[in-house]
Amino acid sequence: MFAFTVARRYLFSNPSQTALLISGVSLGVTAFVFITALIGGLAIRLTNDVTANSAHISLEPETRIARVLPSPDAELESVAIISTFQRLQIRAWKSTVSLLQSHPDISAISPQISGSAFLVKGEAVSPVAVTALDPAFIDAISSISTEIISGDASLGADGILIGSRLAENLGLSSGQPVLLRTDRGIDRLLIVRGVFETGLQSLDERVAYLSIQTARPLFLLPEGITNIEIKLYDPGGARELATFLHEATGLRATSWQEKNASLEGALDAQSQTGTLIQTFSLISVLIGIASALSLSANRRRGEIGIMRAFGVSGAFIAAVFLLQGLLIGMVGAGIGCACGFALCSWLETLTKPDGTMALPIAPGEGGYLVVFLLTTIGAVLASVIPAWSAARLDPLEAIQQ
Amino acid sequence: MRALVEARGIGMTFRNGDELTEVLKGVDLTLQPGELVALLGASGSGKSTLLSIVGLLLRPTRGTLSIAGQRVEGLSDLERAQFRNRRLGFIFQFHHLLPDFTATENVAFPAAAPAGAISPAMRRRARDLLARVGLADRMDFPATRLSGGQKQRVAIARALMNKPELILADEPTGSLDRVAAEKVLDLMREVNREDKATFLICTHDEHVAARCTRRITLNDGSVDGA
Ligand SMILES: Nc1ncnc2c1ncn2[C@@H]1O[C@H](COP(=O)(O)OP(=O)(O)OP(=O)(O)O)[C@@H](O)[C@H]1O
Ligand SMILES: [Mg+2]
Repeated sequence: MFAFTVARRYLFSNPSQTALLISGVSLGVTAFVFITALIGGLAIRLTNDVTANSAHISLEPETRIARVLPSPDAELESVAIISTFQRLQIRAWKSTVSLLQSHPDISAISPQISGSAFLVKGEAVSPVAVTALDPAFIDAISSISTEIISGDASLGADGILIGSRLAENLGLSSGQPVLLRTDRGIDRLLIVRGVFETGLQSLDERVAYLSIQTARPLFLLPEGITNIEIKLYDPGGARELATFLHEATGLRATSWQEKNASLEGALDAQSQTGTLIQTFSLISVLIGIASALSLSANRRRGEIGIMRAFGVSGAFIAAVFLLQGLLIGMVGAGIGCACGFALCSWLETLTKPDGTMALPIAPGEGGYLVVFLLTTIGAVLASVIPAWSAARLDPLEAIQQ
Repeated sequence: MRALVEARGIGMTFRNGDELTEVLKGVDLTLQPGELVALLGASGSGKSTLLSIVGLLLRPTRGTLSIAGQRVEGLSDLERAQFRNRRLGFIFQFHHLLPDFTATENVAFPAAAPAGAISPAMRRRARDLLARVGLADRMDFPATRLSGGQKQRVAIARALMNKPELILADEPTGSLDRVAAEKVLDLMREVNREDKATFLICTHDEHVAARCTRRITLNDGSVDGA
């Protein structure tokens, strides 16, 4: 197409101006990639922080709530309240676990008994949330054993692990005995085998771990369990799998996203801010292209007029400018993506003095294809106005000026 | 012999807001094939306007026009553009070469644009034309590196590229000095003689008019002594 030849010549006609224009486009695209990679990285980091030490899906029995039963004679409604005193438990948990084990997306399963209790040490009493699990798979959901700051993570038959704040509040240290009183009213003397510190106050102050065998008599659950915690290879699939598991098991399945709705909100807000910045960087790129091509169209009025006089169609002239936009967009977006990737990869290597990443940037999350396509398509759209004004130029006016 | 151009009762009234300017008031014009006609008249008498109408760059407000036996009033803009491309050549006072193309590419342009590329045959013809206008040693020069007279000769070669039957020239020597103007004029006479191309040349210059085969003078919107 000869219009392409003309477009290319026009771009090479003033190399420094074209280079400047392309740098402008690249810069905008680099900014886009940077902000996208930063927001993507931040989301990954937050998601990791949240999902690393907690379950991705929790299975529990459906809560028994007061239900309104439809009455046959519509006037009256009877309310049936099912006892909430009855302990909620999963009796057939073994078959559920074997079902879960065969699922390819699930990386770890931890059947647990969770309950409320008090720890009593002399005069001091402190409420705790007890999590009882299989000591052989103590790290299945959160890596408890790596967070032990004194003692160790071996639970044994009479062991308990408590958080550092709880230990402090009760004046306990590893090796000492403590009395556990469950909400079933059963007491047992246990030995603090280890003290852990996660850094999260709520955990360090309120959580205690037991062996599931130790917990059974304490919570009057000789066979059943209260919940099954699940980890996935890809936390992103939790919501979907939770729905599936609910349907498959009849248990209530809660994904980590559901439990952390506020995190989702924060991530959404963040990505909206990102979208705003991305939009502005793209718009400024497109305005740059539109104005540069408009100037060029105006400067070349005489030539355009003569081409028209020699029978070149308006479509040909329009194509010359649209193709310039396309070339600028593609080259600028290509360079911008490359620079953005290089910048993000470099930023990723920067560390704070403590060895952690300075910026939670994920170079892989730069949205390269999206920004490339948006910039290229946008650049063509931005050249529509100059192309249109060049195409409808009256050849006579242009020649005689 | 059939006339190449037959214009009857051409009228042109420009409208600028409420103000109407009647520039042509019923011009009759006939050009026979092979003529070299000078179009004279005072500045503002409508020479360029008439030339643009005959060159299908402007639609008259009234009158009929046929070129090479074809009535052109009914043609669409695209058809007029194609007609200009295939059958007409233009030379303007200001050459308007494409500055980013070489002399050869400029000459080949009217053939290359509709075809999509400059074919070897087009390149050969462009070079022959450049040799003919005395620019054999400037064929690959960028248009911007040529002198005013040289550019105007490239513009003539470009006007000849598609072997037009009618060449419309508006003050072709208007911005050249006497020597350069003389060369351009000789060239047009030669093309007229050898290629049987018909010329309609707008000019102020008696010297140019004297060397044409016929002269037409526009006066107060109509033709004297056509
Ligand atoms: N687009 C237009 N709108 C209004 N008036 C116009 C327009 N184009 C030309 N005119 C008027 O038409 C008249 C004739 O103009 P034209 O350019 O044909 O003159 P000319 O004979 O070529 O003059 P010159 O010898 O100076 O080139 C002038 O008075 C001019 O102002
Ligand atoms: Mg004029």
